[in-house]
Amino acid sequence: MPLRSTEAGWGALVRVFHWSIALLILVQAVIGLSMVEMGLTPAKVRVFALHKSIGMTILALVLLRIAWRLGERRPADPPAMPRWQVRAARATHLALYLLILAIPLSGWWFNSASNAPLVWFGWFDLPSLTGGLDPVWKPRALLLHQTLFGLLVALLVVHVGAALWHHFKQRDEVLRRMVMGPRKKTGGG
Amino acid sequence: MKFVIGCLCTTLLGLTAPAFAHAWKVDPAHSTLAFTNTYQNVAYSGQFKRFTAKIDYDPADLARARFDVDVDIASLDTQNGERDEAALGADFFDTAKFPHAHFVTTSFRKTADGEVQTDGQLTLRGVTRPVTLVVKFVPNGDNATLDVSAQLDRLDFGIGAGEWADPSMIGVGVKVHGHLALHAQP
Repeated sequence: MPLRSTEAGWGALVRVFHWSIALLILVQAVIGLSMVEMGLTPAKVRVFALHKSIGMTILALVLLRIAWRLGERRPADPPAMPRWQVRAARATHLALYLLILAIPLSGWWFNSASNAPLVWFGWFDLPSLTGGLDPVWKPRALLLHQTLFGLLVALLVVHVGAALWHHFKQRDEVLRRMVMGPRKKTGGG
Repeated sequence: MKFVIGCLCTTLLGLTAPAFAHAWKVDPAHSTLAFTNTYQNVAYSGQFKRFTAKIDYDPADLARARFDVDVDIASLDTQNGERDEAALGADFFDTAKFPHAHFVTTSFRKTADGEVQTDGQLTLRGVTRPVTLVVKFVPNGDNATLDVSAQLDRLDFGIGAGEWADPSMIGVGVKVHGHLALHAQP
């Protein structure tokens, strides 16, 4: 199983990044939407701490992923894919990257402006981005965090929808190669 | 004549009283009552912005020294609105039932290494317990600064008992530090 991506498909590392971040985003969404409804108990404090820790993990993973992608080629698009679709796909992917960077950063910013602790899985402290309470930017950072999440949900509908359309309607390799990697060449190839 | 001289002497004595008096007035604008604690094992600090203190203190006359402090608990500020709001609730300070804390000294003493300590009674959240303060008094003419510090255990006063008792959530030991700017009372 090649680590690096090739003309034919995604390398193992890109797929690990893709699916681990996807899973963590799903977990984050469930935690984030339910934690705000909780009454104030130690459990709520722990769930908030978990949401922050997972968010910082996603931020670290996406930074590593971008660094890795910069040194890689991307597999070829299906030959039948029209130019507008290629453009739309690229734009969606770029927007997804920006959102997956910006959402944890806005959460970190909101947490900092709230003067709340940020301890990665109880292991080490992350610094404040605002140097203490910032009552002016606190509500703005929260609004940004929530708005960007809404945008992410909308783009994920497009992203997942497009992947399923490629797989079931176009019957091409787009979804399959993100799951399985490049298809092994059979025969004389 | 004797009476007049007596009166004069009393007046002169009154005029040449010690440079700093026993009774001091607190300058609230330059005084703080602060504490440090931990939340999720991260240090934070807070303060009570409104408190009154009656200070009678002369380092040469500790027997007559007396501090009487009243703290408006709702003036708590830890620079985190959600935390402050929670801290005033029934699980913690419970300001609805106990809006004030009160500290009054019972005795002062000088330790072997010259440090002044005072024992007093602190009433917090309806619980009265003995508390010892370390006292640092620096006179400066008609003014003085008074720094007091103490270490409290929040669970002694039932603050955040039960499910909040876990020290990895909220530290149990609380360091309290008061800094008072004093002016001699006429």
